[in-house]
Amino acid sequence: MVEFKNVSVTYSNGVDALNNVSLKINDGEFAFIVGPSGAGKSTLIKLILKEVDMTSGEVIVNGFNLHKIKRGKVPKLRRTIGVVFQDFRLIPTMTVYENVAFVLRVIDAPKKYIRSRVPYVISLVGLKDKVKCYPSELSGGEQQRVALARALVNDPALIIADEPTGNIDPELSYQIVQLLKDINNCGTTVLMVTHAQELVEHFGGRTIVLNNGSIVFDKVLGGANED
Amino acid sequence: MKISSMKYLFGQGVKNVWTNRIMTFASFCVILVSLLLVGSMMLFTANVNRFISGIESKNEVVVYLNDGVTDETVSQMETDIKKLDNVAEVVFYSKEQAFEDYKKSMENAEEIFESIGDESPLPDAFKIRVKDISKMTSTIAQINKMQNIYKVSAPNDFADLLIGIKSTVGMISTAVIAALGIVCLVIISNATRASVFARRKEINIMKYVGATNTFIRIPFFVEGMVTGMLAGVAAAGLTWFGYEKFIEALSKQMTLWKAFGIDEFIPFDSVVVKVVLGYVGAGALLGAIGTVISTRKHLKV
Repeated sequence: MVEFKNVSVTYSNGVDALNNVSLKINDGEFAFIVGPSGAGKSTLIKLILKEVDMTSGEVIVNGFNLHKIKRGKVPKLRRTIGVVFQDFRLIPTMTVYENVAFVLRVIDAPKKYIRSRVPYVISLVGLKDKVKCYPSELSGGEQQRVALARALVNDPALIIADEPTGNIDPELSYQIVQLLKDINNCGTTVLMVTHAQELVEHFGGRTIVLNNGSIVFDKVLGGANED
Repeated sequence: MKISSMKYLFGQGVKNVWTNRIMTFASFCVILVSLLLVGSMMLFTANVNRFISGIESKNEVVVYLNDGVTDETVSQMETDIKKLDNVAEVVFYSKEQAFEDYKKSMENAEEIFESIGDESPLPDAFKIRVKDISKMTSTIAQINKMQNIYKVSAPNDFADLLIGIKSTVGMISTAVIAALGIVCLVIISNATRASVFARRKEINIMKYVGATNTFIRIPFFVEGMVTGMLAGVAAAGLTWFGYEKFIEALSKQMTLWKAFGIDEFIPFDSVVVKVVLGYVGAGALLGAIGTVISTRKHLKV
């Protein structure tokens, strides 16, 4: 669950990135966050990941109150969140398997679990036969699916996808969003930031529009995913 | 953290030494050169100190006693002097002995001694060796306070000279070692900063998936440590070879060195364990600290 209560963020250069934003995303929800560049979408995500601090207000993510959380606990918070980036951010010197397994190593998972969990998640995103490939040998869509597997592997309560289709061919974009929808259907909360109007129209669901640091629209569209 | 994770991280660190071999080589060279400079400085200082303490051990303070002191007084004084902190050795040098030695030293002057007769005109004395030549002055002052002292003769100027040399050499070597240590740290942290920068994306992803700073740091730490240790081993080998050759060359002029009171240089065999451990330890420490400094900045995500 993600909850924003009257949150404002002002950067040190005086830019107001978010302005008195209140927002609640329940467990198991799927929400699109849309808006023009500079609307505050990135700041919203950075807040959830505790990359930036709010100037005022309160943010609660998966039970962590980000105002009170200690530095040392930030890794614990991040382990409950899976992130997918526009530019994939896979480690080029690692194979698909290693890129995914690496997350479980970070959280000190038992070896046995890693050996069974990683192939399972990779097969979920349909890359079973690419396990030993390096990121450079994969297409953009495939790389993003690896990134998705990486976000999924430690079974997070929340997945944040920051423009996951930004670097991918349009037809493959639908695949990626469909994957996110499938993940959501298994109970994981998904927050997807996007510029792609056609994807929002196609899939529908809760859509939050940001503009100039404020929420200007927050409704369920298309009727496909009504709460 | 689990043992399997530690093993994995250590393995990563060792693997990175090879993966980043160009950067590793740069750090290796910097540590090697610094260790060599510091090491030769230390060996030089050790040799100088050895010469000085060799000369120091030959120091002699002579305490002349008043004429006509009794044997009891002499033995009492001997125990009193022995009780002083800085006194290493006290030897009574009787006036008869002194006269005999004096006669022997002037073989062709029997006539003169005949006119003096058998009674020694010289005073009784103690020959004293002090432990620490720098405290000689205060020891002499303590002796002077005693009864029945005629005169104390000591190589004061010589002692001052030795103390001067010793403290100058000590100061210079400390300064050089400290300066080189700092230079080394700065260069290494810069060299590793480049390798950290090359892997900043990796670090960034690790942060996003919830890796603790320790987890991210360990491979870098191991990498720095291994590089430093390799440099230490190389430096020890080079120093061994260089020192032996150098001493060999110097020893050809041994008569010259003897004239300065230098009997022997420190043989490498006697310090080899210290040198190797010192080099490897210092190398590992420098490498590890260097990487810790440079990873710090990139961990703030």
